[in-house]
Formats: sequence, structure tokens, C-alpha cells
Amino acid sequence: MVIAENTKAPPRPAPVPPRRRWRPWGADGVTGWALVTPAVVLIGIFGLLPVLMSLQLSFQHSDLLTPETPWVGFDNYRKMADDPVFLEAIKHTIIYTALFVPGTMLVGLLVAAAMNRSVRFISVYRTAAYITMAVSTISQGIIFLWLTDRDYGLVNAALNGVGVPSQPFLASPSQAIYVIVAMTIWGWTGFSVIVYLAALQGVPAELHEAAAIDGAKPFTRFRTITVPLLGPANLFLLVWLTINALQLFDEVYATTRGGPLRATTVIVYYLWDQAFVHFDAGYAAAMAYALFVVILLVTAVQFRLARRYAHHP
Amino acid sequence: MTVDVAGSRWRLPFSPWHLVLIPLSFLLVVPLLWMLITSLETEGEANHFPPVLFPAKPRFANYTEAWAQAPFGHFFLNSLTVTVVVLVSNLVVCSLAGYAFARIRFLGRGTLFVVLMATLMVPFQVTMIPVFLIVKWFGVNVWEGLGIDHIGALMLPNLATAFGIFFLRQFFQTVPVELEEAARVDGTSRLGVLFKIVLPLSLPAMSTLAALTVLTSWNDFLWPLIVITSEDQMTVPLGLSYFQGAHHVQWPLLMAANVMSLLPMLLVFIGAQRYFVQSVASTGIKG
Amino acid sequence: MAEVEFRNVTRSYLGGVTALKGLNLTVADGEFLILVGPSGCGKSTALRLLAGLDKPTDGEIRIGGQVVNGLGPGERDIAMVFQNYALYPHMTVYRNLAYGLRQRKTPRAEIERRVRETAELLQIGELLDRKPGQLSGGQRQRVAMGRALVRQPQAFLLDEPLSNLDAKLRNQVRGDLKRLHRELPVTSIYVTHDQVEAMTLGDRLCVMAGGEVQQIGSTDDVYNRPANTFVAAFMGSPPMNLLPGEVRSGTLHLGGSQLTAVPCPDGPVTVGARPEHLRLDSAQADGVVQARVDVVEPLGSHVLVTTIVGDETRVIVQAPAGTDLETGTPVGLVLPAERTYFFDAETGTALLSRERIAL
Repeated sequence: MVIAENTKAPPRPAPVPPRRRWRPWGADGVTGWALVTPAVVLIGIFGLLPVLMSLQLSFQHSDLLTPETPWVGFDNYRKMADDPVFLEAIKHTIIYTALFVPGTMLVGLLVAAAMNRSVRFISVYRTAAYITMAVSTISQGIIFLWLTDRDYGLVNAALNGVGVPSQPFLASPSQAIYVIVAMTIWGWTGFSVIVYLAALQGVPAELHEAAAIDGAKPFTRFRTITVPLLGPANLFLLVWLTINALQLFDEVYATTRGGPLRATTVIVYYLWDQAFVHFDAGYAAAMAYALFVVILLVTAVQFRLARRYAHHP
Repeated sequence: MTVDVAGSRWRLPFSPWHLVLIPLSFLLVVPLLWMLITSLETEGEANHFPPVLFPAKPRFANYTEAWAQAPFGHFFLNSLTVTVVVLVSNLVVCSLAGYAFARIRFLGRGTLFVVLMATLMVPFQVTMIPVFLIVKWFGVNVWEGLGIDHIGALMLPNLATAFGIFFLRQFFQTVPVELEEAARVDGTSRLGVLFKIVLPLSLPAMSTLAALTVLTSWNDFLWPLIVITSEDQMTVPLGLSYFQGAHHVQWPLLMAANVMSLLPMLLVFIGAQRYFVQSVASTGIKG
Repeated sequence: MAEVEFRNVTRSYLGGVTALKGLNLTVADGEFLILVGPSGCGKSTALRLLAGLDKPTDGEIRIGGQVVNGLGPGERDIAMVFQNYALYPHMTVYRNLAYGLRQRKTPRAEIERRVRETAELLQIGELLDRKPGQLSGGQRQRVAMGRALVRQPQAFLLDEPLSNLDAKLRNQVRGDLKRLHRELPVTSIYVTHDQVEAMTLGDRLCVMAGGEVQQIGSTDDVYNRPANTFVAAFMGSPPMNLLPGEVRSGTLHLGGSQLTAVPCPDGPVTVGARPEHLRLDSAQADGVVQARVDVVEPLGSHVLVTTIVGDETRVIVQAPAGTDLETGTPVGLVLPAERTYFFDAETGTALLSRERIAL
């Protein structure tokens, strides 16, 4: 430290250690790689390698047992286009997604809006809303099979109470998919509520107060101030729920096994069925890849649309 | 937040919102309540229309019978083992990698991160068939316990997830660099900083990741379905499904089995609710 | 008529906390009244009650002669400028300004006219198409003001609107506010914890602490004739010095010194004197209070000398520039003839309405 005499300059502070320069093969480089190696190995083997293997598999004929897997080119893909069951599965998946996603978002938003206040016991109410998240898909399936049982189910009892005759629900080819929509909306409500509640709480109270002073009634405030600010939450749920909807499997397995009469066969169910029940793994891999591409496209489109409409007046 | 504005004419001793919230909460929980009620009924009461809302005498025997009909003890033990191993592995591997990505400059860091994150976009259905083959290979060539029809196969593909790395990296980046630099100036080693400074500060983030990992691992169904066929290797969801297959019209019994299967996760959820909420909310906000 | 009146307004909460205890205050039409006090004193509570964002537990609030207790904030014809501005982030500046007018179904042409007029007045005309996120702190503050002005309300409520601005901007905006009020004398109630802001801006000040009014008066009243020790110490920077003393048979005993002819009844008193009114003299001089120098802070135009009287009472004296004393030097404090204040030692209330003692 240099202390000048006459000029009375303040003493210079101790020098700060210089920021490490980027030295890729110094101690830093080795440490860095050492730390990421376990993750890289694991994800490499179980995440990246399978992606490539699956692609290869889709061009082969495999039954998962015999080691010989002859190359069949685009046969599997062509098969998809001609397979009526697959085309049906696509239709079912689309119907399901189109109902499930907006349904879950709407229910989640309404419940979150109701729960976004600090009355007594609010944490109890919120727990009730969240708890569906902890219920496994199989449990959900079993519960709803029982609830919608044609002969002894609670739902039919309630319907009869208001004069509506008992419905077959999951036993009916025309109704089953809609019951699954309702069931999965219930299952995902917890998740949706958490997202929306966090977003609602992110809106500063002052904005509502300013709007109230400006003369806006409660519902107008909700419509003009709150909802527009939920953009990010909406986008997140839209993307996440759509991705999950397109991959529906567990709940179908737990209730209808794709029936009745294949009415609830969705893409992934059919895929699984082909791979592990009929042992046509190559075909299944091709379908999986097709689904993958669809998911990527849909997600990309959703992001693009969101960006376009993010700054609407 | 609602604005508590002057001008409302209500003078009830409690907020009118309770009149909305109580039925709403009830409606949301009704399926679970109905499951519970049915699990305590006799077959006669269950197979009755209109349904019996309150059993004459709660039949706890349903639970002991369900337990006897299938190796639930094995189911729980297997689920527990798999979940614990996956949890610990994820926390360890992902924090090491997450820290490296967050704070250490090494060759290829950027590219490597992008490649790993790309795996998040791939749906499970694409990888499940090859992973099945890989796991089969492990079972044959490394150790039987890792192969088909063993719980090791359930652990292996899930020991580290790109999501865990992403999540922790995000968090580590919010720890002030100055803390680490101060420790380095004091002579702590690179790794020492991770263990002595950063990790102790990361408890909330780790708890959040833990909550999510436990939930996903415990409730996982498709992968166990593919890999496991022997009863004694089944996890709880798979075991329940198996039980359902054998007893699908014995509703009280089935519901009792369902309650038993649900209970652990429900309790964990309620107890650690804060972390579950945080895990969803934080991913939601960062998208 | 846009007179604002608080009649015995109380706000208490479950658990026994009372934020506001029986506030009685009338703000004349066109007056700029400042509620000033430390945090927790009740000033923000009073403002929110006036705005309708909170309900009083007791008492009546009137705006323009009309009781507004049962009216919501949107029905009271008031406008508020928030501390954090509370601008609608997803709307342009234009729409932020227009929002209140649109809620009242004002015709489009009228809205256009008023928004542009207000924007002109506040010099934010070029910002009308931008969103709040694209504005600087000062610009946002002006938009917040504009949103209130464009409504042409009966009363303006301002909740610490300058606290988020940097010092330089704050001074500038303070001047702008004063000018604005001269041009548009709308009844204004302004809340701040900064006593400098309060003194420079207000027609009248209402000093509050602990939910109660300590004193209402002009800057001059509050500064030169403080009603109690709280007001005396709160207003002014550095604050008024308060020393414990005792009067016996007309003589003030203070920190080992004695001063005669004190027109106070016998008993313990708290003596107050502002730093700028005290003088430093030699410790041997007549009638001075004994003290010793502790800290000397030169500020360019003057020097603040902190002294210690007795064992531990700190007294700050404003001394002329160039004063240089060593720590520990014994000095004598000269109490000012006309500016020594006497307060009841227990309650803190001022004992003399005009301070005149001969030393």
C-alpha cells in the first residue's frame, strides 16, 4: 500500500484477486469435467443413446427377443399411414388433448382465483386443491372406475337423483374418452392451481387497488388487469399440458385398457401395446418417433403464437 | 389479491368466500373421500344402489385382507428402495454437474449443456424400447439385479435427469459469486467452496428438487410395467394395478388396497407441501 | 367543494393493534396537506382509509361534505399516486392514463383530449405509445401523476410518490409538484416520512406518531413552536437536542450547570435547543452548560460538533466553518435566549407556548 504524503490521496485498497481466465486444460477444466462426468455418462447412456437407437430401430423389424433385426427401410412408417387403428388412435388423442388442455387450464384458473385470498383456513382449502397432484395415475383410474360404475357408482346415483338415467360411462365406446378427460382434469387440477395461484400472487396488490380507484368493478379488474398478466403462466400450462396430453397412457391402462372397442386407444397406448404385447418393436419405435416430431412441432407452434399475441392491446 | 374495499354491506362474522370455498374444496376431494368410505364398507354395502354413504360399522378387515391377498409389504419396500436410491443419486449427481455448469469454465461447457437439455424434449416413449434393451444388456452382462424384472432396472435409467441439472444450475447461479470468491481468497479449494459454502445454502432448492423426484419416482407406472413381471419386484403403482386385475369387482377390498397405496404419498405431500408447491411454481415461472 | 374531513377515525385490528386512534382532521378545499411521521405512525393507514382501500373501525370520513364510509374507492372521485406507481404493465402509457376515464364511460373524444392535455402538462407526450417497462423511474412517476390528474378528481392522494427516485430527481420533482399545485389547486393529501419533503411542500403539516396526531400546523408552527418532544426531535436535521434538567426555585439545573430566571414551575423538565441556535463558548464562561467535544464533522458551510453533556447526553452544535476542536476538549454550550424550549419531563408536552428566557 502506498501512502502519499502531501497530496493526501486516500490509501489504495488491497488488490482484488483477478478473475480466473478461461483455461480449459488447467485445474478448472479438469475439475469441471470431473464433476459433470457421472451425469454425462448416465444421461448419455439412458437419454441420448436411446434416441439414436430408437431411430435405428424404427427402420428395422424387431421383436425384442431374437437378436436378428433385419432392415426394412421405411416400411414401419408406411405401415403407420395405412393402419386404421393408428389413425383412430390419432383421432382419439386429438380429441382428448383438445378437451383436456383448455379444461384443466380453466378449472385451474377458476379454483386459483377463488383461493387467492387470505381468509381463515385458506391453507386447508388450498391443500385440498393441490392434493390431486399426489394421487398416482393408477389410483385415479381405480377411483373413477368405481365412481362411474354403471350399477353402483356414486355419479350415477347423483344423476338418478336429478332424473337422469344411469350412464355406462367407461363401459361405453362413445362416453369413455370423455370420462377419461374428466378424470385427468381432476388429476391435473392441483398442478394447474399451483401455477395459476403463483401467477395471481405475482400480480402486485397495488395494481388492483389502482384499478379499483380508477373505478373498475371486481370482474372488470379481473378481466382487464389480472388475466392479461397471466400470459406466462398460460403459455407454460398450454405447452406442458399439451405435451402430457399427447403422451396419455397410465390412466387409459388403469381403466379401459384402450377399450371398449378401442374407443380410448390413444397413441401411446397403441405404441406400448405394439411393443410389449405384440412385440413389434420396430413399428412401435416408428410411431414413437412420429409422436416425438408432432410434439416438437406443436410446442414450436405454441411458442410462436404466444410471441405473436404476447403484446396484444 | 382481492382488494378489501369499503362499501361492502356484509357484516357476517366470517368472510362470505367460505361459502364458495367449502363446497369447492369438498368437490375436489370427494373422489378420495368416497374411496375411503367404500374401503370401510362390506361387499353388500358397496354393491348396493343407491350407494350406502355411511357403513353400519367400519370394516377394517378389508385392509388386513387386502394386505394378505398381495405382497404389499414387498410393494412398499421396493418403491421405497427405488425412490431413495434415485433421490440420493439425483441430488448428488445433479448438484455436482449443476455446479460445474453454473460456476466452472471448462472446454465444451456450452455445447454439452445444450445437448443434455435436448434430452428433456424427447418423450419417454421414444427411449423406452431401447432403454429396455440396454437394461436387459446390463442384467445379462453386469449384474442380474440391474436387469429385467429386478428393481435395479427401475433405478438405473433415472439416476440422473437433465431436469435436475437444469434446476440446480439455475439455483446455483443465484448464489452471490462474492461468497464463493471470498472463500477462495481465504484459501478454500474449488470443491471446498461447493461443499462448504454453496451446498449449505442450497437446502431449499434441494428440498424442492427432492419433493419432485420423490413424487415422480414413487408414482411412476409405465416403466415398471414394461420391466417388471414378478410380484415380488413390483412397486406400489404396479402392484396396485396387479391387485386390481385379480380383484376388480371386489370394490371394498380394492379401495382398501388403493387407500394403502395412496397414503404414503399423500402424507409426504401434506407434510412437505411447501416444497411441492415451490417445485411447480418455480418451473412455471421460469417456463 | 372538495373539503376532506376525518371525524374521529379509528382503525384497529384483531389482536389489539390500533393503527389510527381517533383522527380528527379537516383539509380545506385546494389545500396541500402533508401527513408526516415515522413508519408505523398511521399516516398510510389514514390515506388508505380515505381512498376506500380499507374500512375504518370507527369514525366518519367525508369528501366534499358527503359521508363516504359506505362507498368503494371507485365511487369517491379521488385519485391516488402510489409509492411504486402501480402502472398497468401490459398497457401503453396512453391506455394507462385513459383507463380511469374509460371505466366511467367517458366519450372517446373527451378521453383523447384530456389525456393529451395532461401528457402535455407533465411533458410525457412522446411516451404515450410506450409501455411502463420501457420508461425510466422519473418518467414512470410522471405517468403515475398523469393518471391521477387526468381524472380531475375532488382530491389527490399521494403515497410517498418521491421515495423511489434518486436524490437529484427528487429535488426536481418536488419543485414540479409545488408548481403543479399552484396551477391546479386540487385538495391534496400527501404522505411522507421525509420531514424535509414535508416542510418544503406542504401548506400545512400533520405530524403523526403511534397512530395519533402530534401536531397540525404550518412549517413555521411545527418547526419553531413544536407541541411536544416528538415533533421537536422529528422536524429538523440534525434534530433538536433534548436534555434532561430540573427546575428548582426558578433556577434551571442542567448537566452540572445552573441557569437562572427560568419561567417554569419547579420539577424535572426536558430542555430543547436546536443545533443552529446553540453556540460554543469557553468552558469557563458564565452561565454555560459544561460539555466536552466528541466528534467534529466539517460540512463545508458549517461544522457539526457533537458534544457530550454530563455522562452520556449527546448535544449537536452547528458551529461556523473552520471550527476545529480536539476530542475531549471541555467547552461551554450557550443556550439561545429566545430559542430554548421547555417540555414536561414525563409527557413531553411543551410547557411554554413562546420561549423567552433571560439567562
